[in-house]
Amino acid sequence: MENKTILELKNVRKVFGQIVALDSVSFALKRGEIHGLLGGNGAGKTTLMNILYGLYRKDEGEILLRDQAVSIEGPRDAINQGIGMVHQHFLQISNFTVLENIILGTDVKNKYTMKLEDEVVKVKELCQRFGLNVDLNDVMSTLPVGARQKVEILKALYRGVDILILDEPTTNLTPQEVDALFESLRVMVNEGLSIVFITHKLREVLSVCDRITVLREGKNITTLDRKDASEEVFVRAMVGEKMDIENSIYFATEERQVFDRTSVEAPKLKLENVNLISQDGVQRLKDLNLEVFGGEIVGIAGVAGNGQRELAEVVTGVVPVSSGKKIYMGDDVTSKTNEDLLSSGFSYIPEDRLSDGFLPKATVAQNLILGQHRIKPYSDGRFINWKTVYAETTKNIKEYNIKTNGPGDVGGNLSGGNIQRVLIARAFSMDSQVMVAHNPTRGLDIPSMDFVYQKMLARREAQMATLLISEDLDELMRISDRIAVIYRGEILGVLERSEFDKYAIGRLMSGISPENQPSKEKTLP
Amino acid sequence: MTIVKKSLPYLLAVVASFVAAGIFIALMGFDVFKAYQTILFTSFRTPNGFIQTLLKFVPLLLLALAFTIPLTAGKFNIGGEGQMMAGGIGAAAMGIMFADLPAIILLPLVILGGVVAGALWGLVPAWLLYKFNINEILTTVLFNFIALFLIDYVCTGPWRDPAAGHPTTVLIGRGGWLPMLVNNPPLHSGIILAVLVAIGVYIYTSRTTGGYELIATGANPRAAGVFGIKTRRMFVLSLVLGGAVAGLAGAFEVAGNQHRLIEGMQSNFLQLGMIIGLISRGNNGAVPFVAFLIAVLEVGASAMQRTMMIPVEVVFIVEALILLFVLLSDVVRRK
Repeated sequence: MENKTILELKNVRKVFGQIVALDSVSFALKRGEIHGLLGGNGAGKTTLMNILYGLYRKDEGEILLRDQAVSIEGPRDAINQGIGMVHQHFLQISNFTVLENIILGTDVKNKYTMKLEDEVVKVKELCQRFGLNVDLNDVMSTLPVGARQKVEILKALYRGVDILILDEPTTNLTPQEVDALFESLRVMVNEGLSIVFITHKLREVLSVCDRITVLREGKNITTLDRKDASEEVFVRAMVGEKMDIENSIYFATEERQVFDRTSVEAPKLKLENVNLISQDGVQRLKDLNLEVFGGEIVGIAGVAGNGQRELAEVVTGVVPVSSGKKIYMGDDVTSKTNEDLLSSGFSYIPEDRLSDGFLPKATVAQNLILGQHRIKPYSDGRFINWKTVYAETTKNIKEYNIKTNGPGDVGGNLSGGNIQRVLIARAFSMDSQVMVAHNPTRGLDIPSMDFVYQKMLARREAQMATLLISEDLDELMRISDRIAVIYRGEILGVLERSEFDKYAIGRLMSGISPENQPSKEKTLP
Repeated sequence: MTIVKKSLPYLLAVVASFVAAGIFIALMGFDVFKAYQTILFTSFRTPNGFIQTLLKFVPLLLLALAFTIPLTAGKFNIGGEGQMMAGGIGAAAMGIMFADLPAIILLPLVILGGVVAGALWGLVPAWLLYKFNINEILTTVLFNFIALFLIDYVCTGPWRDPAAGHPTTVLIGRGGWLPMLVNNPPLHSGIILAVLVAIGVYIYTSRTTGGYELIATGANPRAAGVFGIKTRRMFVLSLVLGGAVAGLAGAFEVAGNQHRLIEGMQSNFLQLGMIIGLISRGNNGAVPFVAFLIAVLEVGASAMQRTMMIPVEVVFIVEALILLFVLLSDVVRRK
């Protein structure tokens, strides 16, 4: 069955200031296909789709929808034309219910009584048809990311779109949720929808997309049918000629030397029976024991929301432990605050970069010294040495490949990937004995990810300790010396590099510990 | 080049607001050019006009800083008026109670009395914010009213000057008077201190670690907290500093201008200070320049009222329009 082209973008050009974001990019979407839009950070994927969705104006080019030129002035136009978009950062009202979020902004039949029976029926029908199971009465803020994404998709479907754009939809999802999402997408295209799937993860486009367009630095590189091309072709198209694939860690296949703990005397960081009880009385961390040695990268695996964030914040001193001990280089630092720890050899890359790690209203230079603004060389404790700070910032902008107008540029002008690079530069530019990195490569393209891995391995060589908390299991298995799996605030198991096995880790992630074998036929909630 | 480029939108905003207000003046049947001539040049035509402008400039500068210092940390101090009145009360109390002390002791005591009283007036809302998370906008505004009635009490209480027709206190001790820079027309030396304070605030916020922490707190309190900045303390610090600066303005009114506490000394400095702070977009370095511009407009406005019978409120319209156009220029630039 040959499907015809439903949407075409022709020679689209977009310039931001002096940066050419899109240079004569064309893109064609057929009816009933999942079309992968693949490319690294800053390749222009999201910009292109934001133009289609009416969030940006194009400078040149045209949009043909069902062979007719259309002008899309805003998201409302896009939705009226049947184009929906699910953004990377969800646009939801967190204290509304699922149903309220879905119908928000649409006409409701019983406007004055807000009796929503008709709407409920319609939404439930959509849920069922596409396998998007969410409870419509749940309050948004209580839901995991996977469910919130379903709501975002339902929002688009409820508005009757037939073209759905998904911007990095798997960023926050666990493997199980990714599978479920892909199944739903398959059902949608079988029902005649067309889907644009924006991603930087090659494996995902290969497993779900029918056709794939690769963008790099704002230019079309290639468009290929999934079945016509091999993985290598896409890798090359994505990263360009410059990247050294042979020596990259991302694509490395050979086995790395196993970390030898017998040669190290004592762990740099040790947690003993750490408990954390939140203000509302919920136990967030339970009898947690963990050691990180110098020259070791310890990975923490787990489904999001199982205490990873709490663990990171306990280690870095952002929140105090409820009980237990924290030992750093032989000293008891249980009662030390983050102010002390950051000045004495800790560095931290927080998970939520926008809320926990970045000052949008401050300059890049001001952002780079956050947490280190009291110590040399940036400050003598009373005055900040801006000359040094600017020199260091200029150096870091270059080394970490941060795309910005300079150290004095306002942070809010940076894109998500570049904000992440600022956080990475901040943490790695200091020789910290213990680094806590929580999803450090989120939103980065392959060369940047590889750069972070190189930096981490350099830390390993320099006998420094790294705690890598990540939701990307591939990443953990690629780089960690040991992986500890956290489930509901408890470490269920620790695996050595030689024992790494995706399925074993996956079982621990869903709470099936060795003492709690599935052979007992016991099902956990 | 970059400075020209950066200031261009502001110049355009000022010009646009003058044009817009000019239409009003013309509609009211007055001579627009003559009106603007009076507004803009009164300050520079005579020594008297210039000194009046400087006298106006001092409280405007300090009240604007009282607004922008907490704003740097992301907090809104709408209590500059109350803090200024508290400062005036503190200064007058010192000056009356220790009236016989020599200047070398009494003058610092009067100034300090004002600063401490203003800081205390900022501390209470700050403490309520720190301890109970009570919104500082609400509490600082309410503390204006407390100061208003307190000043009424002081001016009609035991320190009342029975000879005066308006509620005022008796004169403070001679030693508490600020020395004069120029005697006729009178210009007190508070302006030097005020400019030093402005320079100090600028250096503090742009060069020191403490100032950096204020900026970081204002930029994103959550991230600042994650990276070891005690943001709630920063909130308190910023409000107390703001209160102290406003209190200094009150002390100057007492020690420099009136030499006694007078009801109504707060004038409309709070509103003008906030307008100055907002036109400067919270930039502590820009505040003195904007404050001077507004002082020129204010002095010009009263001259215009005297000579041309144009209501002084026209200048409020100009000031409000400048603010609106500056904010508008931000929006335009972003497009």
